[in-house]
Amino acid sequence: MTIIVLLPLLHFVFAVLCLSWQRGTRGIIVAALLIDAILLGALFAVLDQAGSISITLGGWGRNVGIELVAERTSLVFGFLTLFLEGSILLYLWREHLQPYFFMLLHLLLGAVFAVLFAQDLFNIYVIMELLTLVSFLLVGYGKRPYQIWASLKYLFLASLGMGIYLLGVAVVYYHAGTLNLGLIATQLTEQQDTTWVLLASSLLVTGIAVKAGIFVFSLWLPAAHASASPAVSALLSGLVIKMGVVVLLKLAAIFPLSGSLLVLGSLTGILGIIYAITTYELKYMLAFHTLSQIGYLLIGIGTGSKVALSGTLCYAFAHGLFKGLLFLAAGSAIQATGKKDIRELITERSNIPLVTRAALLIGTLGIIGLPPFAGFCGKALLNAGTQSYVTQIVLALLSFGTVVSFAKLIPLFRFEGGGYLPRTKSLSFLILALPIGLFFPLTHLFVPAWQWQASLNTSIFIKNLVVIGMGILLARPIVNHFPHLEKRFFRLEEAAVVILSGFFLVFLLLLFA
Amino acid sequence: MRYRRIGLIVYATILVCCFCGLVIAFFSYQEPTRELGAIYLSRAPSETGAANIVSAIYLNYRLYDTLFEILIFSVAVLGVRFYLSDYREKEIVEKIPESQIVRTSADLFFPPIFLIGIYLTLSGHLSPGGGFSGGVVAGTALLLCAVALGANTVGKRFHEPTLRWLEWGVLLVVLSLPLLPIVVGRLPFTALLPPGTMGKVISGGSIPIDNLLIGIRVFIGTWVIIHYFMRHRGEV
Amino acid sequence: MLMIAGVIVAVILFGIGLLGMIFRRDLIIKLLSLGLVNGSVMLCLVSLGSRANGIAPIIRGPENANYVNPLPQALVLSAIVINFAILALALVFVMLLVEHYHSTDSQRIEHEIKREREL
Repeated sequence: MTIIVLLPLLHFVFAVLCLSWQRGTRGIIVAALLIDAILLGALFAVLDQAGSISITLGGWGRNVGIELVAERTSLVFGFLTLFLEGSILLYLWREHLQPYFFMLLHLLLGAVFAVLFAQDLFNIYVIMELLTLVSFLLVGYGKRPYQIWASLKYLFLASLGMGIYLLGVAVVYYHAGTLNLGLIATQLTEQQDTTWVLLASSLLVTGIAVKAGIFVFSLWLPAAHASASPAVSALLSGLVIKMGVVVLLKLAAIFPLSGSLLVLGSLTGILGIIYAITTYELKYMLAFHTLSQIGYLLIGIGTGSKVALSGTLCYAFAHGLFKGLLFLAAGSAIQATGKKDIRELITERSNIPLVTRAALLIGTLGIIGLPPFAGFCGKALLNAGTQSYVTQIVLALLSFGTVVSFAKLIPLFRFEGGGYLPRTKSLSFLILALPIGLFFPLTHLFVPAWQWQASLNTSIFIKNLVVIGMGILLARPIVNHFPHLEKRFFRLEEAAVVILSGFFLVFLLLLFA
Repeated sequence: MRYRRIGLIVYATILVCCFCGLVIAFFSYQEPTRELGAIYLSRAPSETGAANIVSAIYLNYRLYDTLFEILIFSVAVLGVRFYLSDYREKEIVEKIPESQIVRTSADLFFPPIFLIGIYLTLSGHLSPGGGFSGGVVAGTALLLCAVALGANTVGKRFHEPTLRWLEWGVLLVVLSLPLLPIVVGRLPFTALLPPGTMGKVISGGSIPIDNLLIGIRVFIGTWVIIHYFMRHRGEV
Repeated sequence: MLMIAGVIVAVILFGIGLLGMIFRRDLIIKLLSLGLVNGSVMLCLVSLGSRANGIAPIIRGPENANYVNPLPQALVLSAIVINFAILALALVFVMLLVEHYHSTDSQRIEHEIKREREL
């Protein structure tokens, strides 16, 4: 029971210790990793028997105190955090970083664990603000002007989003009388006049969407994730964005959000792909892909069936792993050659270490969804979870677009020559690459077997392989003749106006769907 | 180009007005069916022993939120210190003018303001106040001194390592206090100290202790922020 | 009555803050508008708890006095500290940017950064 509280608080205690005891920062983070592993293992054992556990802090009761709940979602993302934590630790083992950086890292991890267990609207607000501040400081850690501007833009838009979220919390509190998610659900079934739900849910969804990486709202994402240093980008893209999706998952269990999430998911997926196809800078392309992959997760939440929800969790886990691996490998490649553009990386590929290129290959195979690798499992579950043809066509289109965009990297994968890479970095790639390869047995831990039997059949294999094949064949003509889209939406003022338009979009979607 | 700018202005103004109108219109101003907040008003005096119900809420029932809030404050202080530390320390081009009035009033007012800050911190459970406001008031007392004497002069009077240790030690204690009941064998975040009679100075369970710790943390944090901003004043 | 007036004023201030953030090019004024946006949300929260002839929720005397709802005030206490932290850090970043580019104009800074990226 106390595990739920211990996980975040211990990370915060370690954060403070990092700063006071400056020589032992690496020892502290190794200790934190071990303690996390032990606690998560214990949580897994408890949840295996109980299904879900909840605790009200202080024993005051759900309507006055703060409730924390642990269930399958928290476990899956907890393990994702564990993998990313270990990998980042190894990646940064040799670098000279100030203890301040490790403190921020511990605060980030603690806040991530805290979101997973949160069940209270205002608690979510405070934790998301902590996440915003810490990631904003981590993006700007290098103190270069473009990093500082990217993180300032992030701060402005994220604070605006959280302000809108707090307005939504005010509306919910006034009409439902409580901030606890479970109690709000009971209030919604009991009350007759529920016209306020429309305004409240659109405000809440808009607020969280700014942080969750949905295209119309998160226009700060490409600049912020591309300007940050590689380990920070991996953490942000792989983990922090998922926290917005976790909050949307919790909200979708109460408010009637399914139709709007389906439309938003398709929109963000397609727009992300369109921008990614025409981008040649490696890190910007990966950031646009993050925006587009969130579309898969939203479609899964929007569909709502049990198989689709398992698919969402599966795909979120997989995406965290391979996006983290891709960002780490991309960072290492850019460091080795000093160039950021894909075409220049291809011409200088003999300078990039072999292990880095292998890591990029595994990450690419994961994201395009080749059968035994990680992405395929999630896509199979998502496909099986929905009955409508439109959703399946959209999913296929997103896969196709991803393959077309990643086909740009194919010339990199010729394995000859290569520079030197320290062993710790190779190990860090291995920690993320192994689960991507051996994903299928891993999923049996949290996806019941009947869902696998329902979704894995030869037609999904064939569909997937056909999409991948067509994507690779048609890649070059599509990329060369694709129209370029406006990049001016990613500036600060236009981004704020787009967020407001997005609010109206969500409002109308909730009204009619 | 100009048409684009004008188009953006018109579009954004319409959007913002529609947004405000939507929120105001859809708010549905019906009276809530139950007394919101009555639960706290009826339970707090007996369970927590604090006269200030707002303190009882954010330091007892919703202590978890307050922990995150303190962490956000500490992150802000850390960020200011880290990013401004290798900012060029400006040779003070325009010194804040040495004025007899400022000097004398700083001498006169510093002790009362500081005492008011301490009073606010310690009486957080009896009247409006608490750690945050008390700490900030005490910090502004130091700001008055810094304006009169110069930030570096005041900064030299503090022993920096002790200040750091105090800052982080207090934060550590605040974070581990809720975990203390585990040692005794109970769930974390449960109250260990008895509520006492409402209205007395020693009452309210662990609320005065929390207030004192938060007050020290916020005081030192405010001083650090003021110090760093004054030392590295930038110019365009 | 007070509650309705409070909510309407808060939303209007929210709108003014939004317009300020979008249209003014000076970074410091964008910061102030962000503060205004957050402040207006806090005003909305507090005014939701108000009651006619209500007094502050500090128990001093008789039992059934007309106390205002204390929960939004506790929430706003946290929100004030968060707002302060955001503004302080944003101000530090603005100072760093201004030292590098010698201007507080956001359009000019974006233009310079785009130029540096292309080089």
